Amino acid sequence: MTETNSADIIVVGTGVIGCLIAEQLLDAGHSVLMLEAGPRVERWQIVEKYRNLPPVTVTNLDAAYPPSRWAPFLDSTSATTAADYLQLEGPNARAYRQDYVRYAGGSTWHWAGICWRLTPDDMRLKSLYGVGRDWAFDYATLEPYYTRAEYAMGVCGPSDPELQWPPIRSKPYPMGRLPFGPGEQKFTDAAARLGLKNLPSAQARNSGVSYDSRPPCCGNNSCIPVCPIGAKYDAASSLPRIEAKGGKILVNAVVYRIETGAGNQIQAVHYFDPNGQSTRVMGKLFVIACNGIETPKILLMSTDTRNPRGVANSSDQVGRNMMDQPKLVAAVMLAEPAWTGVGPVQGSSIMQTSQGDFRSEHAGALLRFNNMARSRLGAMQALKTGLVGKALDAEIRRLSACTAELTIEHELLPDPNNRLTLSSLKDALGIPKPNIYYDVGPYVRKSAEIYSTPLVKQLAHEMGATDVKVTTEFTNSDHIMGGMIMGADPTDSVVDVDCRAHDHANLFLPGGGAMTTAGCGNSTLTMAALALKAADAMVAQLAHA
Amino acid sequence: MLRQALFGIAWLAITALHAMAADADPLVVQGDYLAKASDCTACHTAPGGKAFAGGLAIASPVGTIYSSNITPSKTAGIGLYTRDQFAAALRKGVRRDGANLYPAMPYTAYAVLSDPDIDALYAYFMKGVAPVDAAPPKTSLPFPMNIRLSMMAWNLIFLRDSGLQPDPAQSAAWNRGRYLVEGAAHCSTCHTPRGFLMEERSGQAFAGGQVGAWYAPNITPDKNSGIGSWSKPTLIGYLRDGIAPAARAAGTMGEAVEHSFQYLTPSDLDAVTTYIETVPAVENANPVDRFGEGKPGSDLASMRGAVIDDASRGSVLFQGNCASCHAPLGQGGTDGYFPSLFHNSTTGAPNSNLVATILYGVNRTTAHGQAFMPGFGGAKTDSNQLSDHEIALVATYVRAEYGGSSAAVSDEDVATVRQGGPSSPLVLLARVAIGVGVVAAVGLAVILWRRRHRRDASQSQRSVQTGS
Repeated sequence: MTETNSADIIVVGTGVIGCLIAEQLLDAGHSVLMLEAGPRVERWQIVEKYRNLPPVTVTNLDAAYPPSRWAPFLDSTSATTAADYLQLEGPNARAYRQDYVRYAGGSTWHWAGICWRLTPDDMRLKSLYGVGRDWAFDYATLEPYYTRAEYAMGVCGPSDPELQWPPIRSKPYPMGRLPFGPGEQKFTDAAARLGLKNLPSAQARNSGVSYDSRPPCCGNNSCIPVCPIGAKYDAASSLPRIEAKGGKILVNAVVYRIETGAGNQIQAVHYFDPNGQSTRVMGKLFVIACNGIETPKILLMSTDTRNPRGVANSSDQVGRNMMDQPKLVAAVMLAEPAWTGVGPVQGSSIMQTSQGDFRSEHAGALLRFNNMARSRLGAMQALKTGLVGKALDAEIRRLSACTAELTIEHELLPDPNNRLTLSSLKDALGIPKPNIYYDVGPYVRKSAEIYSTPLVKQLAHEMGATDVKVTTEFTNSDHIMGGMIMGADPTDSVVDVDCRAHDHANLFLPGGGAMTTAGCGNSTLTMAALALKAADAMVAQLAHA
Repeated sequence: MLRQALFGIAWLAITALHAMAADADPLVVQGDYLAKASDCTACHTAPGGKAFAGGLAIASPVGTIYSSNITPSKTAGIGLYTRDQFAAALRKGVRRDGANLYPAMPYTAYAVLSDPDIDALYAYFMKGVAPVDAAPPKTSLPFPMNIRLSMMAWNLIFLRDSGLQPDPAQSAAWNRGRYLVEGAAHCSTCHTPRGFLMEERSGQAFAGGQVGAWYAPNITPDKNSGIGSWSKPTLIGYLRDGIAPAARAAGTMGEAVEHSFQYLTPSDLDAVTTYIETVPAVENANPVDRFGEGKPGSDLASMRGAVIDDASRGSVLFQGNCASCHAPLGQGGTDGYFPSLFHNSTTGAPNSNLVATILYGVNRTTAHGQAFMPGFGGAKTDSNQLSDHEIALVATYVRAEYGGSSAAVSDEDVATVRQGGPSSPLVLLARVAIGVGVVAAVGLAVILWRRRHRRDASQSQRSVQTGS
């Protein structure tokens, strides 16, 4: 075993959370070492890999990111590869096939960039509706961090409060909203006729102007799997800036153990290189920011005499309350063209359907028009018809233009039975694979049955659908939350209001795992806000040390 | 279109604020206009810094020069300058304390500024600019350039001593244009090649010069080497917006458009172009039609369908880094925001601008909106960092595919641009010359000493060993 020189702060994970924290601490004058399990690649390499994929991988949006042997993740190329890493069980195992990448820059490489905030009500489910949990603080406490996160990432959004979600803001968005493509406009108009408001999404994407030396969006419509020009914020874009500020980034360093010492302080983390050689890294403060699956996995692996259930786990809540927004999808055939695909892959959602007194009975849902271009889907479908020549051309055009997809994302409650444990199966370095039990539960099922599915059908018909098929099997939204749940009570939560582990004064576990409730919107902005709150606490803690 | 609409709103807000802040004193208003025409802010306002507070690091071929604080601060700026001291700085390159300025300050051009215009500029800098009491870093050039007295000799040779006499044979527009081009706009500072002593070379006015990382091309009316093929409206449009059919303003010219030319009145833009169309045409060696070279094309047929991320191919680097905006065949966008790469002076001319554009990008804001291209590693904070070798590969590919030239761009070419452009041989030569002088002096001393010793030896009949 080798020992490597320490830094003030050791950040495990180079995704959006790790990068935001690293930069805050560098700006405050501290030394930062970041450890990344996966490799570091240039944007153009991903872009070219993606563009050279065969069309059949169109639904396999992580194909441009092949996992490395030493840092595996779910690879959806085939049913076999998909089952290889994440071990999923329970009634809704399929709905926890979370897409994330273990690459420098993390999963914002292939996020859609959507930056919804939670609403005040989303944070008080227990007191308002008698379900789930209440957050340990209110919306007003989080609001300044939401704003900072929007400025750190460069979020565009509407200036009209009527179109903001929620319209409770201390500052305008850094950039104005992006316009709707024709399909989204059609959906917006249909919603309006039903009394529903389709809101322009807040999104970490440059609208009309540059931000942080990144260019404005020019509508390549490939946000997932990669923005080819960096108009969408991704954490990878901040890696050179972190290095320019003096931060060190070590890639292909797979952290597998957190070591505790006197007073149950964290002493070091241990990582394997791709050949299984181990190195011990010391620091003053430790941040584990490897997303909601890999972080609980490392915590559970790190058992010692002081922490027999794993680091940070005296509450037995590590790996429990795993959340996401269980998704259903409506395939819609339209009489008239919708021309999906102009602009980013997502640009709007109906949010009001996530709120209401019904939440004491069933989940709310977000409804949206999927703006991912349909030309490849249309072409593949048309090819199956056996048509040739001009008839084939015409059918490709029709299917590309006159089909659409509407998406429902449900709010899932924190449930300790939805749980990540360590599988007996090991990866190439001998590290246990994550095992997750997942059941969306009656709260979501009831919503799908009596609320969200009927609503989405109504919307489709209002758009002029000639055929609507809504899936019944829930799928993943890739918003991994809950595994290091935040709370005021150390006996039923893992981290405090600053994402500091209740059990270890110098261990921070920020990100989606710390979220107490999930809401219906994409989780990244809340994760980023929590990261900045944690960074403030870390700077204060180092100042007092 | 959306981009422009969004931008238009922001622009209106900015110009409205500007209008409110404008001083009612007509002399100050005139000075503000002249300060824009003279592009004082280009050097005297650092990025993100306060207006005219200086501190911009200017990479010159003889070392880094920091621009001075020209706010009316009495401690850090020019607040103690009298009108005549101000005039001497502008027209003679002499500071209030008598020290000489380096010709990074274009006083050889400002020498033509008229007395009334000096008065207006003085009024503006004293009354229209907010004082900033922070002193910028001091300039310390390497020996022998650190001896500011050396500039006196330089001025004797290269500084013209008087203003321009109106030429009655020419139109008022031509005379006004000459006054602006030769004076405030100081076009020759960049566009005229520099000689050994950093002076503007005579007989080569506006024939093209290297300005750090960027090349200011030939703007004489020569049909092949210059801009003789441009119509007057094209030239006016370029100066105002930075956009011509086959050229875009970037680098130092982008700054000139953003900070200076876009604010010129239509009649002054007309005057500038009237004059520049009449300067003597100069043809450069090996002229190329930089506006007409190249054609659309790509290597896609040999790339798609294969899993390729081969960094040794310029075409792969091009598709992965450039084509998402400039389009797969290099044809650019339909609305002109993303320029075509063929029929484009940046790719069609054999100078440093293609590499500089890739390294540093474009960021030019006018009433027309922002034109932005990210840099690919010129700044350490750029999100995409291409190596010298990768940029050499992609630039060679772009020049061949879209610029009509098979001349390769080397890694060294890129390294030179990355370090801010070629450095002047002046520093080295001066040091060598002085070194030679020192060696010669030492040698002479040794010879004299030997002679004396020989003489001594012969007188004392003793043999003296003279070590050498």
